[in-house]
Amino acid sequence: MASRVKPIRALARQLLKLSVVDGVVSPERVAGVLAYLEKSRPANQVPVLKAYRRLIAVEIAKSEAIVEHAGPVTSQALDAIASDLSRKYGRRVTAIARPNPALLAGLRVHVGDDTYEASVAGQLSALAAAV
Amino acid sequence: MSTVLEQIEQQIASLSSKAVKKNTGNIRSVADGVAKVDGLSAVMYNEMVQFPNGVIGIALNLEEDEVGCVVLGDVSQLKEGDEVTTTGRLLSVPVGKALLGRTVDALGQPVDGKGPIETKETYPVEKIAPGIIVRKSVSQPLFTGIMAIDSMIPIGRGQRELIIGDRGTGKTTIAIDTIINQAKINQVGLASKDPKFRPVYSIYVAVGQKNSNIVRTIAALEAAGALEYTILVAAPAADNPANQYLAPYSGAAMGEWFMENGMDALIVYDDLSKHAVAYRQISLILKRPSGREAYPGDVFYLHSRLLERSARLDGKGSLTALPIIETLAGDVSAYIPTNVISITDGQIFLETDLFNQGIRPAVSVGLSVSRVGSAAQIKATKQVGGKLKGELAQFRELAAFAQFGSDLDAKTKAQLERGARIVELFKQPAFNPLPIELQVSVLFAMQKGFFDAIEVKHIVAAASALKEFFTTRQSEILTDIRTKAALDKDIEARLQSACEQWKSGYKA
Repeated sequence: MASRVKPIRALARQLLKLSVVDGVVSPERVAGVLAYLEKSRPANQVPVLKAYRRLIAVEIAKSEAIVEHAGPVTSQALDAIASDLSRKYGRRVTAIARPNPALLAGLRVHVGDDTYEASVAGQLSALAAAV
Repeated sequence: MSTVLEQIEQQIASLSSKAVKKNTGNIRSVADGVAKVDGLSAVMYNEMVQFPNGVIGIALNLEEDEVGCVVLGDVSQLKEGDEVTTTGRLLSVPVGKALLGRTVDALGQPVDGKGPIETKETYPVEKIAPGIIVRKSVSQPLFTGIMAIDSMIPIGRGQRELIIGDRGTGKTTIAIDTIINQAKINQVGLASKDPKFRPVYSIYVAVGQKNSNIVRTIAALEAAGALEYTILVAAPAADNPANQYLAPYSGAAMGEWFMENGMDALIVYDDLSKHAVAYRQISLILKRPSGREAYPGDVFYLHSRLLERSARLDGKGSLTALPIIETLAGDVSAYIPTNVISITDGQIFLETDLFNQGIRPAVSVGLSVSRVGSAAQIKATKQVGGKLKGELAQFRELAAFAQFGSDLDAKTKAQLERGARIVELFKQPAFNPLPIELQVSVLFAMQKGFFDAIEVKHIVAAASALKEFFTTRQSEILTDIRTKAALDKDIEARLQSACEQWKSGYKA
């Protein structure tokens, strides 16, 4: 099992490297990789594609800041968040707004595996856990 | 001035609204108490992770694209897609004297219905064992109250002595007897107000046992007045394997608190065979490669890192460990028994045959050994029982030879007679540990031939009578033996005359 998974992961990682330009996933490169896979049809094509998809999704998530908000958020605020995070992570991060009334007030920002909690709901749940 | 205040207020406002950074992931699958989690890219090995509904887990497998976490709570509350958060903390348990007399689970939470436990400190469950520099060699005795052990296989404070044997051979009884004996010594010692007296606190870790057995143990300790000096860590058979895997480490953390704070503690791991089985279960679910008997490759490290935490520290206290291993059909050469034998400083081997013959505790003198304990044995015991092990081993050899029915010379006969009497003397009922001074007195009487004229079948009754005689009528001698820990000429003479007095009045 492990011996079959290892080369699949290795190939998927190699394909990911080819798909990233300056720390950002390039749609053109991804299209090129997919065309190459379609043409060459390597062994275990489906598992390779699945592993590649997962790696690409993780990589995209690293350069996308999902900004959950309860109230209105201005485009200036989104730009400020994006530039702050770009500086922090050392790569270009774009901010995408997503309304979430369950937050009550404030923001929650997801970048890859990191979550920045600045919402009332988050503070209340932290308070509930501490009590 | 108002500008200054505004500046401070701005600072407060900026701090209070500061976003909290968390590293998160999502559950990919949950099965058999193990959650596979996507994300958690910043998680550390053995770090505590937070699941929804207050359930916690430990990150045990850090893989390329997922993290394997054992769940330490109700798995049924978790589902695919749930958010998991790192905590940046290692799993810790409450420690301190407030835990004495209480029964807690593997996370240190009370399970005895006696209310919450007020503790100020916590210790990490996993901790690197003390190094070479801070250690001190074993030189202080830890009396088990079992004559066969204290005289032939002595245990010292900071030692790791394995109790090994088949099921139903009295392994747990020896451990409980030892805990009870510590409590009795503590009661006498604390009452004496001797500033040099160092009490021994006990921790009993029950892994994979039936709840009814744990209740029985608690009842036995309570009846003997030992519960107030004991912490019970319970991870019964019904508990999930993660808790069974963690319980010994939690117990060790509680014991370390006593050791680090200049006190002495005794910890019983009952038993490490079931602990290894629980770890095997977790490892197989985590898809770690399996080796001999399907145990993972690090099963030796599982026990070595646990038992290495027992030590005697220079200028501080000690932690003595009595791990228990259950063998199958007396096979000590199985994987886990050989591992633990090689880690510990000796073993007390219990034999089914001896147990069935009524020789209880069923200690096999030939296979039992204490590698460091003799340095901790008090002089009085050495004086009266120094040659016992050899005599008993010789007796076993001769007894096997004598079965052929050939004529025996007088010397051999005498050795056989003496050996049979020693075996009888070492018989001891469960939960009835003997104070060391009484052990010395009985062994003195045996050594001086006071039991030679008594028939073998009456030895147990005679020994009981002698113990009663000493306890009720010669308590001064017992106190002197206890305080001096050696037999000088005066004590020897008084013992001799006391034994003569007893012998003259004793009728079998």
